[in-house]
Amino acid sequence: MSVFHKLARMLGFDIARTKYAYARDPEFGYISESRVADTWTKTTCGYCSVGCGMLIGTRDGKAVAARGNPDHPVNLGKLCPKGLSEHHVVGAPGRATTPMLRRGGRGTPLEPVSWDEALDTMVSRIGSLQEQYGRETLGVIGTGQLLTEEFYTLGKLVQLGFGTSNLDGNTTLCMASAVSGYKMSFGSDGPPGAYDDLEAADVVLLVGSNIADNHPILCNRLRRTPGQVLIVADPRVTKTAMMADIHLPVKPRSDIALLNGIAYILLREDLVNRKYIVEHTEGYEAFAEFVAEYTPERTSELTGLSVETIYRVARLYGRAKAAFIGWTMGVNHSTQGSVTVTAINNLALLTGNIGRSGASPFSITGQCNAMGTRESGFASSLPGYRKFDNAGDRADLAALWNIDEARIPSARGLAYPDIIEAAVTGKVKALWFIATNPAVSFPNYALLQQALTTAEFVVVQDGFFPTPTSDFADLVLPAAIWGEKEGTYTNSERRISKVNRFSTPPGEARSDFDICMALADRLGVRDELFPCWQTTHDSWLEWQRVSAGRLCDYSPFTWQQIEDQGGMQWGGKRLYADGVFPRENGRALLHCVPCLPFTEQPNADFDLILNTGRTVEHWHTRTKTGAIPILNAMVPNAWLEMNPVDAERLKLKPHDRVTVRSRRNAVDGVELRITGIVAPGQVFMPFHFSEANSNLVTLGDFDPISREPNFKQCAVRVNRTTTQDLRV
Amino acid sequence: MALPLYDRAIETDDQDLVRLTLIQGGASAQLVEALIPSRPLEDGEQYRFHFDMTKCIGCRSCEVACNEQNGNPADIQWRRVGELEGGVYPDTQRSYLSMGCNHCISADCVKGCPVDAYTKDPVTGIVLHSADACIGCQYCVWNCPYSVPQFNPERGVVGKCDMCRGRLEDGLEPACVNACPEDAIQIEIVNKIEWRADYALAESPGMPPAGHTISTTRITLPENSQSWLERVDTGNIRPEHGHPSLVAMTTMVQASVGTLAVLLLKGGLDVVTITLLALITAIALNVSVFHLGRPAYAWRALKMWRRSWLSREVLLFGLFFLAVSGCTAAAWSALFGVTHAAVLVIPTAAAAVIFGLLGTIASAYIYLVPARPSWNMLHTPADFVLSCGMIGLALAAALEQLAGWLVGPMTRLGMHVQHTPIQLPVPVALAFSMLWIANVAWKTLRMRNSKLFELRASYNLLRGQGMKPFLALSVAAALAGAMLLAIPLPVAALLSTVLAVALGRHLFFVSVVPLNMGLTYVRSHGGPG
Repeated sequence: MSVFHKLARMLGFDIARTKYAYARDPEFGYISESRVADTWTKTTCGYCSVGCGMLIGTRDGKAVAARGNPDHPVNLGKLCPKGLSEHHVVGAPGRATTPMLRRGGRGTPLEPVSWDEALDTMVSRIGSLQEQYGRETLGVIGTGQLLTEEFYTLGKLVQLGFGTSNLDGNTTLCMASAVSGYKMSFGSDGPPGAYDDLEAADVVLLVGSNIADNHPILCNRLRRTPGQVLIVADPRVTKTAMMADIHLPVKPRSDIALLNGIAYILLREDLVNRKYIVEHTEGYEAFAEFVAEYTPERTSELTGLSVETIYRVARLYGRAKAAFIGWTMGVNHSTQGSVTVTAINNLALLTGNIGRSGASPFSITGQCNAMGTRESGFASSLPGYRKFDNAGDRADLAALWNIDEARIPSARGLAYPDIIEAAVTGKVKALWFIATNPAVSFPNYALLQQALTTAEFVVVQDGFFPTPTSDFADLVLPAAIWGEKEGTYTNSERRISKVNRFSTPPGEARSDFDICMALADRLGVRDELFPCWQTTHDSWLEWQRVSAGRLCDYSPFTWQQIEDQGGMQWGGKRLYADGVFPRENGRALLHCVPCLPFTEQPNADFDLILNTGRTVEHWHTRTKTGAIPILNAMVPNAWLEMNPVDAERLKLKPHDRVTVRSRRNAVDGVELRITGIVAPGQVFMPFHFSEANSNLVTLGDFDPISREPNFKQCAVRVNRTTTQDLRV
Repeated sequence: MALPLYDRAIETDDQDLVRLTLIQGGASAQLVEALIPSRPLEDGEQYRFHFDMTKCIGCRSCEVACNEQNGNPADIQWRRVGELEGGVYPDTQRSYLSMGCNHCISADCVKGCPVDAYTKDPVTGIVLHSADACIGCQYCVWNCPYSVPQFNPERGVVGKCDMCRGRLEDGLEPACVNACPEDAIQIEIVNKIEWRADYALAESPGMPPAGHTISTTRITLPENSQSWLERVDTGNIRPEHGHPSLVAMTTMVQASVGTLAVLLLKGGLDVVTITLLALITAIALNVSVFHLGRPAYAWRALKMWRRSWLSREVLLFGLFFLAVSGCTAAAWSALFGVTHAAVLVIPTAAAAVIFGLLGTIASAYIYLVPARPSWNMLHTPADFVLSCGMIGLALAAALEQLAGWLVGPMTRLGMHVQHTPIQLPVPVALAFSMLWIANVAWKTLRMRNSKLFELRASYNLLRGQGMKPFLALSVAAALAGAMLLAIPLPVAALLSTVLAVALGRHLFFVSVVPLNMGLTYVRSHGGPG
């Protein structure tokens, strides 16, 4: 700004008229001139799994506006605050723009290097570690932020190029238990229902699911059908619980008791669908015998709900013409997550509430492409929901790829937490993180820190730099993010939606797909694994062939059709309409799920139960939303919710800065919120903030089946932060 | 304002006109049900917002949509969402309050504006603000009981919600209405006379009483919420802007007015004192324009003297300065022997005193706004008048001493100044100091015992670590001023009283807790509200 301009501003001649002018956008009408676009690109939101259709407006190639796509069936033009400001993310400060290498080894700074040097170093370092310690010494953590095409490519590269099966996604921190639970009950992953069911159901039961904060655009599906009853089971009085007709303030981790208790009443009052049970399920007798323990009285004792309430809810669910059960992290973030999912599925199976309009046991997934990555990757299953332990599936894949069947592993590699543990024990020496930030998102930070420092070579590939995880990196690869690449995401209702490019990556950043191709080149496997591949569309075409005929069949749609129709659902609107399940006998299995207390119970030293979760303004570890001024201004810091009863006992006042301490570590300086939102004896804290990282204190305990962490309950104590606490 | 939509609606029979464009303009027709009115306004009607608290899920999309619509930076939000909470676990309720401008029937922002930047649109009732007309005095910010107008330092002007008039003109719903996924915000038509008679539906927990300005926003509340939903932001009240240029201006002008009155009454006016007073006044008035976002347009503030106390203050202090200047000119002219000039000194000084006192009263009236309870007390004009006296006496004494020193050198330069030493009434000075202190003490006590949250909150700010020492210092300085004058140490007395008044004035500005909507619990420092 020239001196003249400064003076004009100071005296008030210049009031930034141009910057604050209004104009008429040809598509969207009167708006700030700064938001008028010359081009609108259809795409799909890159935050959560609702999968809202968007239009991104660009002017002279610069993203200036975000709009909900009015024609997209998921959101009909609506967006949450993150979506409405998402165009700011591509130009946000803090983007990674150049590869960075710690040339001088640990303890020296990361220095900018060329892509050639970066990739050569990566391949040679990983290669020499693999030579020394075996192929499996490489652990790779991908993400539900990648395109399906990219995750499919990454799976092949890691499994068949690098030759390690230790590949998992950060989705294991999120929805792995839903995957396991579906597999256990139905024989395959795949949410059977659709969002329309939220409207069509006459009873909607949400278990541990705060969609008003986490999937806000699903909320308008509720309360539309007159007479619909919304029941929300959550120990915390969440925004969603406040929408409910009936809120069930269950004791933490007593959801299994609630589900079994409902089953007990359903059976006793014959509110079950006998025909469906006989024709389509297995294990009924054992189940009926098992739930006999869950009398309303015992259930009441376990859950803290009244006997009347349990009856009321069971009868509502049992008598519903179409009943929907949705769940999210309250169920999944548990050592008993997988079996809790099967307990949910039990209710749907007993009443035949599956495969019909309004009737579904429905996992509301987390990330924008959690679904696409769990279908196409090499993580919890082989691509196309194929099973590692099924010789036919392996032969099938080998034939499709024209490779030796022996190259396809017959068992799953290590899951995310096991890769981290293996890094601590020295079994895994090289780590490659793609678009994920475990230094904030992984439970029990101390263990993760140990893993990252013990591993000999750590690669962090991310759209942003620095991140708390890149502090540990030996090599940083700058990646393109949403808006800078083209492909597909699949949302919670199995809807494949098109993701388009409207911006170019900053600096030298490359798409994850291009990085995979460059690595394949260096590994000498490009021609074999990715013959003639140039773009993600080549990956899409192969993925279509690989998924053809599978439950998750992507072959019927082209990219163009997907884009034109606002996404298309694989498997149709609903799965299992015929009651035939992808198990050997075609029947779904009823599981007997005991209700066990959660691992780390409070005691005299650690007297409060810490629950963690999200807030609508932020996404995951805030690498994106923290860089968007309006979102960060709305919620700039973490807080701890505490019941007034506990606050009085601890002599704490509103807005006090408090320290939350568990057996593992402590997080300091958290703003205290005294509120009746949480029960006495429980506290809640959002997990988004690296500055006040809840995962310093959370428990590193994992579901034995899905390997999902138990983020939701651990024992802590809270005191006012003293200067002693504020180390550093 | 041109309303093509209404013209079309009146001229044609098409009932769907208003919503036809929505399919292209954002929310699809399926989602939009009468979110904006589909008939033209009739006489005596205006538009208003309807906010349905029972539908709002607190997603805050409206806030982001508003900022995108208006291109505002993150720390300026014309639509804000607040939280309200009540009940005991598990029967807890948290509700959300989303508010733009309430487009009041009796809008204080309109009435207070010294430059007529506000208009209440005669057709739609929308309270419109013109950035071009605005001089950035921020008087509307003080006047609005909802803290709706927000000053944008980047522009030097205020801005506010205009109900997206530009979109309404095109038959499109406002950005917040468009963005809300729950259809919790709507535009409705209200009959102004009926609403003025009964505006009970504008009342809500977390909102200041609607009667101040007759807010038109209709709020649908959850059942029985009035009794138990409460604001959650009350534990986090932050000090307001200190307005140093206003502290300087009010202190200096009050000093000038008081001194002139003292000198006039005691017969101590001479060319030296009057010149120094003119100089102080000139500095004060020049400093004050830097309170404005657009100092170059300060002159516009005279425009609305029939309506705005700010205009009147500017006018009266302007006249005060002219009179003082006239008086100075007369005194110098007399010194250089201009015939009859000496006769004019006393009348112009008397006129100046009258203008100055009236200006001080007008100045105090600026702060007598219901939206700022700790200003809206009799203590404000009392403070201003007592400050005139307290500093006036000390400054008169100091000028007197200074004039005494200057008479000798001036005489040597050939200027024969008539300087008569005056006796300052020390008991009067002591009385002014004691009254000034009593005024502060009484106000503080009243705030402490008030039923009004904002007054108690102001008291709590004053009581806090950041302000308490300054309050004590200010009171001590006032007392010391009177004592130093008695010694007599006039210059020290002057410094002491100036310190007392300036500190007191600073606390006056920073400790005010404006009426506002209830905001969120966790929020950014330096953010709106």
